[in-house]
Amino acid sequence: MPRALRIIVVVIALAAVVFTFRYYFSQTGGSAGAALGGGPAFLAGAPAQSYPVTGLDGKTDSLQHYRGHVVLVNLWASWCAPCRSETPALEQLYEEQRSKGLVVLGIDQGESRSAAAAFASEMKLRYPILLDEGQAYGRAYAAIGLPTSIVVGRDGRIVRGIDGELSLAQMRDAVAPVLHDAQ
Amino acid sequence: MKARDFTIALAAAGVAMVLAQDAYPQWPGYHAWPYAAALALVAAVVLGGFRAASPGHAIALLGALIILAAGAGSGLLGPDTETVTSAPGTVAPLPDAGAAAFFPDVAAADIARGDARIIVRRRDGGSFELGPGERRYLAASELSLEPRLAAYIEAHDAGGRHLTITQPTNPAFLSPVVLFAQKVEVAGKLLPADSFATPAVQRQIKAFYFSRDDSEAARMHGMAGVASLLFAVDDDTGHLAPGGIGFVRSGSSAMLGGVRLGGTIGTYPALVVCAVPYGPALFIGGVFIAAGVGLAWAKSDRRHIVRKS
Repeated sequence: MPRALRIIVVVIALAAVVFTFRYYFSQTGGSAGAALGGGPAFLAGAPAQSYPVTGLDGKTDSLQHYRGHVVLVNLWASWCAPCRSETPALEQLYEEQRSKGLVVLGIDQGESRSAAAAFASEMKLRYPILLDEGQAYGRAYAAIGLPTSIVVGRDGRIVRGIDGELSLAQMRDAVAPVLHDAQ
Repeated sequence: MKARDFTIALAAAGVAMVLAQDAYPQWPGYHAWPYAAALALVAAVVLGGFRAASPGHAIALLGALIILAAGAGSGLLGPDTETVTSAPGTVAPLPDAGAAAFFPDVAAADIARGDARIIVRRRDGGSFELGPGERRYLAASELSLEPRLAAYIEAHDAGGRHLTITQPTNPAFLSPVVLFAQKVEVAGKLLPADSFATPAVQRQIKAFYFSRDDSEAARMHGMAGVASLLFAVDDDTGHLAPGGIGFVRSGSSAMLGGVRLGGTIGTYPALVVCAVPYGPALFIGGVFIAAGVGLAWAKSDRRHIVRKS
């Protein structure tokens, strides 16, 4: 074999060995599943998942149906005391901002229609309520407790995920940048 | 045996070890020092054999060295085999594979069938599905599914109203699927166990899985030979609720401690991620070996023809 060709073959082989080790050094990272349990705050920027469920009127409905609006998704249950406490503020926010394109979407987690309907009637709610008996939204939005609120932009992407009860002022702060951008 | 033949045989054995690592990557021994030491020994002998090798053999030995490097790299620097369990509807990052695994949302029937497929999305935006029994390579990792015991829980109150299930000790707080991550000793047997709550009626519930054999051995009344769940229902003070303990076979329900509890037993996949030798390095090594063997064969064939004439 000519000397030049021999050198080329050796250089290619050495480069392959070096590249292989370099690849493994660059890949060694953290362990899988590290971000699990991080809660809804880590969802910002991700596309908002939508699952067909039923509304209080018995018709099929989903988050996807409200695409094009700024949506404040609120995961709740009637037994949850903080949910009960923040609901009047949600209703007030909806009435205040619906003309600007905001939809408040209450998604009941795991309860029957009768429990959700009684709650909606007691609280005189006018914003749409969905019944998620299988709790699919709760899992998809990484809820680590109830209530959980998710701000979804007009493009269907999550802007912010918030765990726990919010005051009216905190709700306004959460949706204001998105509503403002959209105008 | 000539020194050259010994070197070639040892190089072939080393390459076979790395190819076995590629085919069956789950063996933990690949990440232990004896395996790396064995590959290093083979590499040292191969390096020493270059002087006596013909040009064709030398190229093939270089190919073997590249493959040995890929095997040693995977064994020494690749992550240990990891089983990623996650609740339905959640996402688990896979940093070593440069991807994320989307665990699908499931209904009770999907758990019973055990045929859920996981979607893997790569950092570059591409994605693929992985089903039971399938294997896929991704960068220097091999991904496969392992069916794990799971149960889809349904709870109703005394009036028949559906109840929210929460798992306060689980990363997926709002999942009705329990994955039995713990093992608890019951009647001298280690049984898969998990827990959940129905906050609307202030109940904390422990669930223990009894396989058909466990039921048979326990000689449970009416449940012998049937896979079932043993539920223990505590009230909000942490004490067992009256009538709060009982067995429920898969697909049925029973009123226990003021809650109607049912469970569908089946499987839900966990994702197994194994380090494998880097594919492009195996390919380049293979090309070198093929070229070297081809050159050596052509030369020996030419010598044979010259000798004949």
